[in-house]
Amino acid sequence: MSTDVHTLSGAYALDALDPREARDFEQHLAECAVCRAEVAELQEAASLMGAAEAAPPSSALRDRLLEAVDRTPQVPPLSAPPAAVGADAPATTVSLDAARRARRPRVRLFAAAAAVAVAAVGGIVVTDAMRTDQPTLAAGVTQVFRAADAQEATVATANGGRVSVAMSAGEGRMAVDTSRLPALGSRQVYQLWTLTDAGPVSAAVLEDAATGAAMDLPAAGTRIAITIEPVGGSEQPTTQPIVVVDPADV
Amino acid sequence: MSAGPGLRLVPAADGPGDIDGLLIRVARGDRTAFEELYDALSSAVYGLSRRVVRDPARAEDVTQEVFLEVWRKASRFDAARGKAKTWVMTIAHRRAVDPVRRAEAQRRQDHHGAPDEVSFDEPADHLIRTEEHGAVRDCLDSLTDLQLESVRLAYFNGYTYGEVATLLDKPLPTIKTRMRDGLIRLRDCLEGAR
Repeated sequence: MSTDVHTLSGAYALDALDPREARDFEQHLAECAVCRAEVAELQEAASLMGAAEAAPPSSALRDRLLEAVDRTPQVPPLSAPPAAVGADAPATTVSLDAARRARRPRVRLFAAAAAVAVAAVGGIVVTDAMRTDQPTLAAGVTQVFRAADAQEATVATANGGRVSVAMSAGEGRMAVDTSRLPALGSRQVYQLWTLTDAGPVSAAVLEDAATGAAMDLPAAGTRIAITIEPVGGSEQPTTQPIVVVDPADV
Repeated sequence: MSAGPGLRLVPAADGPGDIDGLLIRVARGDRTAFEELYDALSSAVYGLSRRVVRDPARAEDVTQEVFLEVWRKASRFDAARGKAKTWVMTIAHRRAVDPVRRAEAQRRQDHHGAPDEVSFDEPADHLIRTEEHGAVRDCLDSLTDLQLESVRLAYFNGYTYGEVATLLDKPLPTIKTRMRDGLIRLRDCLEGAR
């Protein structure tokens, strides 16, 4: 890799790259052990500079936080072996796996080919808003799942994971819990799409699958699909969905 | 190596090794370890957040987000890629910078302009005045002016290196390089102080 890319380590350690550069640099990092070591050291230097600003927060924050922790599940380690994605496990063979959730959920799964056909119709918009709002989304996800009137379903995905979808008419929101999807390498992300007759629209690029995503209840006839995309997300789906969910059936 | 008092940056922490151990316990769902981790690092996280977002209430929100993320993702901490404290502080910095950067992007969209009248010399004064930790202060003093301004504008003001280049009226590669060699000098100096 060129010296030029290598010199980005300082700016990266200071979080001073724009998102696209940061993703590119992370791809470089994945291949460059020397760079990883340097970044670790420079991040440490930066964090010492930050820690030198230490000031105690209020004690009320501690109480608030610990209360929130009691309501917050933890994500599994990356080393947990993700189920194999074999040639015999395309999206079309996805089976319902709703037994563990109450309320007899039914989730309709569409053939991947159909979803991709829809994808080709066009009219695609990538919304960065969902990505940048993730800190709020995480809380939003929990909120929907915990809503009194929440209806939820869990389905298996083609790549051996599970996705839970919750809808709350009261909240007017829908949420997707993606924390049990297999971890992806550093170069791929899960991307969430809404599928309508007008074509797929990016609903969220899940930089961190554990965060999940929440959105307004989709209009009738809208389905939700998840694909695996290159880091940064795509303007339109470039792979077959690992799952397609029809909210009407949740 | 003997840790000088100047390097006890977080008074409640006994050292990086202990933080690593705490985080590993947190990953196993150990709530007591989480409380200890919070007590050890909350001042560092909150102080940094407040420095970046400025508003104390927002800084507390950021701090809460940071520690919830630490709780959720403790299992993703990889000791081979750095120290636990650095991991937490990196999360803190990203969380703190994110809203600042978004607000700035919005502002720029509204005003079609580069960042305006930013008093980028103010943080320097602030840092020198409130800096109680000798080692970091002394080591920052060893940076050249351009290294110091580049590092500080990025880290504490949340600017991208492109924005820093605009503010300081320097070529992009220069700023990129100053950020790197500035941090390298800081790292080497802190290592030497140890």
